[in-house]
Amino acid sequence: MTAARLPLPTVLLSAGLLLSVLCLASLLLGAGDVGIGPSLAALFGGGDDDARFVVFELRGLRTELAVLVGVALGAGGLLLQAATRNPLAEPGLLGVSAGASFAVVVAISLGASAGTLSLAVAVLGAMVGCVLVLLVTQLRGVGDDPVRLVLAGAAFTGLLTALSSLLLLQDQRTADEVRFWVIGALAGRSPDTVSWSLPGLILGLLVVLPLVRPLAALTLGERVASGLGHHPQLTRLATLLAVALLVGTATAAAGPIGFVGLVVPFLARRLVGSDVRRGLGVAILLGPCVVLAADILSRLLVRPYELPVGVVTAFVGAPILIAVVRSHRLPSL
Amino acid sequence: MNIPLAHASSAPRDHWLLGIAGLRLLIHRRSLLAGIGLCLALAASLGWLLIAGTHDLTLWQALRAATGDGNPLQVLLVRELRLPRLVAGLLSGAALGAAGCLLQTLARNRLATPGVIGIDDGATAFAVASIVAVPTSLAPTALALSGASTAAVLAFALAAGGGARGYRFIVVGIAIGVLFGALTNLMLARADIDAANAAYPWTVGSLNARPAQAVWLLGIGLALGLPAAKLLVRPLAVMRFSDNVAIGLGVDLPRIRLLTLALTVWLTALAVAVVGPVGLIALVAPEMARYLCRQHGVPVVNSALSGALLMVLADWVGRTVLAPVEIPVGIIMAIVGGPYLLWILLRQPSRTLT
Repeated sequence: MTAARLPLPTVLLSAGLLLSVLCLASLLLGAGDVGIGPSLAALFGGGDDDARFVVFELRGLRTELAVLVGVALGAGGLLLQAATRNPLAEPGLLGVSAGASFAVVVAISLGASAGTLSLAVAVLGAMVGCVLVLLVTQLRGVGDDPVRLVLAGAAFTGLLTALSSLLLLQDQRTADEVRFWVIGALAGRSPDTVSWSLPGLILGLLVVLPLVRPLAALTLGERVASGLGHHPQLTRLATLLAVALLVGTATAAAGPIGFVGLVVPFLARRLVGSDVRRGLGVAILLGPCVVLAADILSRLLVRPYELPVGVVTAFVGAPILIAVVRSHRLPSL
Repeated sequence: MNIPLAHASSAPRDHWLLGIAGLRLLIHRRSLLAGIGLCLALAASLGWLLIAGTHDLTLWQALRAATGDGNPLQVLLVRELRLPRLVAGLLSGAALGAAGCLLQTLARNRLATPGVIGIDDGATAFAVASIVAVPTSLAPTALALSGASTAAVLAFALAAGGGARGYRFIVVGIAIGVLFGALTNLMLARADIDAANAAYPWTVGSLNARPAQAVWLLGIGLALGLPAAKLLVRPLAVMRFSDNVAIGLGVDLPRIRLLTLALTVWLTALAVAVVGPVGLIALVAPEMARYLCRQHGVPVVNSALSGALLMVLADWVGRTVLAPVEIPVGIIMAIVGGPYLLWILLRQPSRTLT
């Protein structure tokens, strides 16, 4: 495939810089009354109680969550693309996020409360989604066709969304608990969210680490990978498990946020080429950048209201989807 | 048959050749039978839905109430509640079915329906804009038209590299649909709660209490659009082969393409202005028509009839399954049509529209 376009350390360094700038901006900017000046003062220990509360409790939590979700979705997207060898594979587009949200809606309508059960359930739902993706890629003629896979994902997502709304119509309590959650937003999550989503994220990344080399071999084709002593099916299965963990965690924490898993690998490929080993590090840094930038925009665009962050990522992601599809030959992975 | 059969032996297989006073008409036998059958089924379900409900009427009572006779309760039930809803469902289903058939044929791909390539979402986004910004009763239809045309033009222009066929076109359409969906959400997030509630039916697709004016416009649009579609059937049927064959047979390709696309947009937008995005009707109805006709043609009229039947039945299911809670017809269609869409995608990967 194409050679790396930029040296890896430079890219990593600038992505890291960008990430810290965005973290700072996320602490300083908001839809409410606390402007940059008071926020800065609060950050350096001054300021009144209001400003300190807004900066540390509200925006701080939001920023942490955005970073977690960004890492999970960015890495999940890259891995899913590598495992399916499909530049259009995105957890949201392929129905993994929809599986996770549907599972949460079912669990809540069966009596669970939004706070306690949702991580395990969302991961389970994401796994079901991943397994379906895996099954579909095994079908002859569908797995090799990136575009048909996306269409199947869209159909699957539409179906699950309709089923979720059916459950919500039937049951007012579920509707109230879930309405906020299904939009996909980083604001107003409980502080516990960070503490229970962090282990999920770390576990997911730990599963990934031994998979990086086999995945890189897999991009050369299944035969070459088996020739090099790897097990393509096993690698794919384990990767999808990791993706399910990552995406399930992100979805449980912040609801379905689409297109991050498409945008981040796209950028990473542009920056360092299509090697998984190089791309993963970049994706882990760029994922939070994208989510943070979208979140900051979602606060600023319609002040004093806020947009769901999923709306902002859709505005960025859909044009990139068009660009990928339009590119003369779909970049092969 | 009382109609004189002229040159019965010269008619192709499965066709009737009718000759009246020097005019010759070739009719595909199964298509005609399917059309008659669909009409009967439609009439039966309309009659049933008019008389059945929480307050049952006899057919005679219902018909008298429809003309304004009978006691006030029955007149209210039939003329204010049941009849407008049935008419709205009938017309919008027919428009969506015909539009789906046209676009599928044009793109030579059975998945290329207005809903899948984002025309529905474009119309919805603009209709919601009209609710949120200019709350007059005529505006949704006009704006839905402009939204649908915007989406269609975008989809065709952006997919230009791959032509209007193939899957690339559809994924571009999906992306455009997502963009317009995000636009709708953006506007709903900014609107106050009343405007957002007023716009809600447009986001899921519902036949509940639709504005009468939009239904009238849809009726007029359909009366103009269906004959136009019937005129386009012949060149479209030729275009299913290849561009070269069509040109050789004297089809003005760019003009027919433009007209078909314009007609699709016209029908879809008028229907969406009434019922909201119930796009899967446009996918399922032509399939149903094609199955019933067993003919590899362009069954526009039968698609319209199937669409009307499907829409009316889906609405009935939505009203009764979880009564008294009403399930919007869009959700019913998504649950019924979604698995079907998946089945098409996964079961017959290589088969294109024939």
